[in-house]
Amino acid sequence: MARERECLKGSPRRAARSAQAANPRVVLMSQEWKPNEIHVTIPTRMEALSIIDKVVEGIVELIDLSEEEANAIAISVVEAGTNAVQHGNCFDEKLPVEFTFVTGGDQFQVIVRDRGPGFDVDKVLNADPTTPESLLAPRGRGIFIMRSLMDEVSFRIVAGQGCWAILTRKLRGGR
Amino acid sequence: MKAEKRVEGDVTIITLSGKLMGGPDAEAVRELIKGSLDAGSKKVLIDLGDVSWVNSTGLGILIASHVTVTNAGGSVKLSRVSKRIHQIFMVTKLHTVFDTYDSVEQALASF
Repeated sequence: MARERECLKGSPRRAARSAQAANPRVVLMSQEWKPNEIHVTIPTRMEALSIIDKVVEGIVELIDLSEEEANAIAISVVEAGTNAVQHGNCFDEKLPVEFTFVTGGDQFQVIVRDRGPGFDVDKVLNADPTTPESLLAPRGRGIFIMRSLMDEVSFRIVAGQGCWAILTRKLRGGR
Repeated sequence: MKAEKRVEGDVTIITLSGKLMGGPDAEAVRELIKGSLDAGSKKVLIDLGDVSWVNSTGLGILIASHVTVTNAGGSVKLSRVSKRIHQIFMVTKLHTVFDTYDSVEQALASF
């Protein structure tokens, strides 16, 4: 199985090209705050993802979602955060993991930024951890889970600035 | 995450609570599994009733437990899996790997 993002490895330039092509519309570094955005920054600690889980819980409570849909979003956001902590920032607690939640309209979007060098997006996106030979692998499921539960998952990598995971789910509603 | 172990008959019950996220959690569970096998107990029940969520790293802990015990000729079963965790199992097809039960009692009876 293709391994997930590795600390300080990969081919950031290639990954950046691929990821930008996947989602060129998202503006990642706007300084302008918008009322439909919620920003949360946590230290690079796995335990701090509990905070993010609670934030997601609070946000989805404001939207008419089924339990399954709310879970899908929460699971995916935690996975994006896990990747940022583990593979992006490599557990460096001095680095931030930034979350931007964008609500409104018929979709929910979260953008997760780490400060890592990025990874080979194409390689990871093609990995399938559900094949018989990969089913018992101890790792390599994070991005697959996100892609399974969200409608769109893309990445943008900017050399020297970090990696952005952009997760979007169209809301079906129906609690 | 907290991990506690108790024995009922020939089954070792490992009760996890909190968030299963890897890191130190993995070592704690690995030690309990190892202790169980060293004591000759190859039937392991992992109760997830008080686990609020699992990430992909936490899934790796459950898989490692399954592989370790199975390779030793035993079996691992799971009880009280939340809807959220079950949703992850379905997506990753790990529901085809783990036997899951609604209660500890049902899981114990299945060994």
